[in-house]
Amino acid sequence: MTIDATMVGRSYTAAESYQVGREKIREFAAAIGDPNPAYTGDDAVAPPTFAFMLGSRALEQLLNDEELGLRLDRIVHGAQKFSYTRPIKAGDDIAATATITTVRKAGDVEVIMYETALTTVDGDPIATSTSTISHNRGES
Amino acid sequence: MIEVGTELPPLTVTFRREDLVRYAGASGDFNPIHWSDRMAGALGLPGVIAHGMLTMASAVRVVTDWIPDPADLLEYGVRFTKPVVVPDDDKGVNVTFSAKVDKVADGRAEIDITAVAGEEKVLGRARAVVRVQ
Repeated sequence: MTIDATMVGRSYTAAESYQVGREKIREFAAAIGDPNPAYTGDDAVAPPTFAFMLGSRALEQLLNDEELGLRLDRIVHGAQKFSYTRPIKAGDDIAATATITTVRKAGDVEVIMYETALTTVDGDPIATSTSTISHNRGES
Repeated sequence: MIEVGTELPPLTVTFRREDLVRYAGASGDFNPIHWSDRMAGALGLPGVIAHGMLTMASAVRVVTDWIPDPADLLEYGVRFTKPVVVPDDDKGVNVTFSAKVDKVADGRAEIDITAVAGEEKVLGRARAVVRVQ
């Protein structure tokens, strides 16, 4: 029930692909308050940070790995980066795999970096998301 | 023509509790530090904080509002250096974003973004790379 450097390389693939819909893009754009016309209509592309949401099912699997023993309410997001091969579009069917790339410990705090590959269901790259999270295992 | 030193038009957004609820619902991120003062306090935070991803989404608007097509964004990264505390009132918190072109080479422009809430910078090393002609 802990996390250490031996967990580097563990991979978690979302059980189901994510089908990107026009209305979900519209809802997300509204939630971030972004009226950019590129995010509406039949040819809608998704706002850049929509990519983070596509990795959430893979992240869920990582959080559910009992050997790691992580708790969502003890996690703070430290850093985030995206690299885009192409924009995410309405109609895309996207697979996500999260891989732990770095683990550092400082007392009760564990700093975990993981990389999420977003691809088409056929494996063509779309974007890569790199996340750094801090998990506090201390008593509270 | 994009040149080094070009300043992009700044943007100020307001986050209220309502905006955090809407973002939680749209993104599926229901971490209680974004809606419960009690749970935020248990993690040592001064109160409910905005989703870092909401701040990140707002910050890149300075870039995507400026380039003709948001699909020309190639890379975007930030560090969440200070939490953005969102008070439980009608006024909320203002965050102001500004950006400046730092480098142009090989059909790419690198843009540094600054995010300030109150007097504090809330993002570190916020940088976007866009495709340019």
